[in-house]
Amino acid sequence: MSAVLGISAYYHDSAAALIVDGEVIAAVQEERLSRRKNDPGMPQRAAEACLRQAGLEAQDLDRIVFYENPFGRLERVVLSSLRAFPRSWRHFPAALQSQIGSKIWVLDGIAGALGVPRGKITTVGHHESHAASAFFPSPFEEAAILTVDGMGEDESTAIWHGADTDLRCLASIPYPHSIGLLYAAITAFLGFEVNEGEYKVMGLAAFGKPSFQNEFRTLLQLQADGAFELNTQYFAFHTDINIAFSPRLERLLGPPRRRGKAWDLTGDETDQRYADIAASLQWITEEALLGLAREARRRTGSPNLCLAGGVALNCVANARLLRESGFSRIFVQPAAGDAGGALGAAMLGAIELDRERPARMTSAALGVPICNDAARALCGSLGLHWRYPGDILDEAADLVLRGKIGAFVRGRFEWGPRALGQRSIIASPADPGMRDRINQVVKKREPFRPFAPAVLSDRASDWFAEHDNDMTPFMTTTARVVERQAGDIGAVRHVDGTARVQTVTAQASSDFCGLLERMERNGAPPIVLNTSLNGAGEPIIGDEADALGFFMSHPVDFMVLGDILLEKGANPS
Amino acid sequence: MAALRARLVNPIVWRVPGHAARKLFSFSLAEHGSMLDLASAAHLAPDPERRALYLRHMLDEQRHARMFAMRSADLRLRDGRQSLGFPVADNEDLFERLGELRFLAFVHRGEKRGRQQFEAYRDWFQGRGDRKSASLFTAIIRDETRHEQYTHDLLVELAGSPARARAEIRAASLWEKWRIWRRLGRVIAEQAYFLAMSVIYLISGPFFRLAVRPRAAGWINHGAAPDAAHVPPPSREWSAA
Repeated sequence: MSAVLGISAYYHDSAAALIVDGEVIAAVQEERLSRRKNDPGMPQRAAEACLRQAGLEAQDLDRIVFYENPFGRLERVVLSSLRAFPRSWRHFPAALQSQIGSKIWVLDGIAGALGVPRGKITTVGHHESHAASAFFPSPFEEAAILTVDGMGEDESTAIWHGADTDLRCLASIPYPHSIGLLYAAITAFLGFEVNEGEYKVMGLAAFGKPSFQNEFRTLLQLQADGAFELNTQYFAFHTDINIAFSPRLERLLGPPRRRGKAWDLTGDETDQRYADIAASLQWITEEALLGLAREARRRTGSPNLCLAGGVALNCVANARLLRESGFSRIFVQPAAGDAGGALGAAMLGAIELDRERPARMTSAALGVPICNDAARALCGSLGLHWRYPGDILDEAADLVLRGKIGAFVRGRFEWGPRALGQRSIIASPADPGMRDRINQVVKKREPFRPFAPAVLSDRASDWFAEHDNDMTPFMTTTARVVERQAGDIGAVRHVDGTARVQTVTAQASSDFCGLLERMERNGAPPIVLNTSLNGAGEPIIGDEADALGFFMSHPVDFMVLGDILLEKGANPS
Repeated sequence: MAALRARLVNPIVWRVPGHAARKLFSFSLAEHGSMLDLASAAHLAPDPERRALYLRHMLDEQRHARMFAMRSADLRLRDGRQSLGFPVADNEDLFERLGELRFLAFVHRGEKRGRQQFEAYRDWFQGRGDRKSASLFTAIIRDETRHEQYTHDLLVELAGSPARARAEIRAASLWEKWRIWRRLGRVIAEQAYFLAMSVIYLISGPFFRLAVRPRAAGWINHGAAPDAAHVPPPSREWSAA
């Protein structure tokens, strides 16, 4: 058997994942440890954290697998720049500097950083890593796989077929024809950060109407066989390293929104227009994904679909795929974006060495745990008052029911961009005013941003329809709120009547499950509002120091930190 | 020296249209970089008392980064430009690279220099009646003064004597000069590289343009699924086009 480390790095969301003897021991995004949002750098801290979790040294690794082929990417960068000659005169030197200056040396960089022989390090393809990260942790024996990303080495999209340990690429769509790049460009157009603001666009879309369908048909032409063509004249990602769209897009959609301007969707017609653009983008994205999924079904005949790539984090689209694509089951693992490539790379390496498929993913708690002793010592040094309640989960449930906003920090942090009950802000889901309070005061973010509910898995059908699937444990899809129960959960029901629900089982998160059980025992629905434990522009909390920093600098009322409880009444804010 | 330089360049820095917002954003980036280093220190320091000190300092830097970024955004939006967003600095891993003692000396120097500069900027804004910007600097100077003091006290304590602490500060100063030299080298190399690549691009681009065909859209087929023969042909009803 083997120890294999997978690494993704140098684009965005770098990460490391470790598989030992066919079991995923740890999977960690670098940003959680470096505290740099979307950290693209060498994930040395993440790699070391994975090794610590397994009690291994880097020298014990049998193989390290990098999630893409750096020279394949270099070739694509050079050729795509030259194809756009002479418009790419600014792009070419800058892109090549980034590639030749650091990215093509990544394998030597990994060897140097971890102190392992260069010969132990191999590469796999970008989309192959994504496909592996989607299929191998899934509950399916065989499945169709769709990888839909901004770009890889040379492809943006691919259809795969997975069966047991075998992964086969059936077809791909080449760069620059890319749904991910379309989404990124419109994200920038709407005044959000690329690679960060895409999920804000998804939330915003629910406030608009898809009234720009014709314009978006001009931008992305969908074909009968599921393929699509991006009209590159409207974009600038291949000609300018800093700008995503061209002046032609402004002529088509009107002036772009200024970044940083406060949103007003209650009376501002201009902002409503931007919401309509977001809704139109969401519409064409869903149409394109439906076409791709149906083609994947046609080519494989499989009833199961796995999705990966940044576009697979679009949980609204995933829900529609499950309803309309013809697949019976769909699985999207929580780190479907580039970070997930580390997991896929590790799995490919492990399968090559072991000839066995790693165990399926049942929990996303694959990160670094809280150290209770260190947390108590640090509280003491910070002069914070804490206590050991007899039943800490019961106290937390009681505080939530009394309308308090809490931070819930237990166990190992999550893999992927979603807080799944290990590093979460929790609150009562009942009062719609709670959403505004958390958006404005705690998270300081746009007023249209929704919050997700976490619900006991076996009680979910009382409040949600279409929740019983393979994605809700990882919050990678949405479900409709049952109308007659909508009053119970006003804070987590989005304007379109859906919620990005997380179904919780004891197997996935025993502590979070215990909290929800106590909510129910106290006479309330077993549901909490669950949002990521981070401030604006910050990564989600990693260790106890980050957690206490958050507690001291944000207006939450209490914090469950490992086995201790801190309350603001007993501590200065 | 830092204060003198700040006072000399004040009229240029703050009067050039659009430059004030960029300058404030550069402070935001610097504070964010410092915050990343202090977050590392708060994770890695072996003693909980020192972890607590670094954590409090980190929170101050985080707040300063946000304050500078928000003021920068205010100025840019007022001028009809878009905000520069949240700062995301590069991670220099100074705590790990320098060790705790040299790191403290480095931070102490930075805080002192920052306080002196900010005092000059505060005076400038006060003189011009810009109370909002002046109060921003006043609030931050208060924290910088505290940071300057505690880093010095802790440095003396860890070094074992004031003389050894002074030696560490001198060593940190030398290291900083070396860093400036390397950064300068990198900037020059980047410019030279940009120029060289631009020349290569201009010379080779037209020929490659002729040789390299545009990418066709559509599927590139790689193979079939093992038992996909039974699947139905594509249906036209999917198309949204």
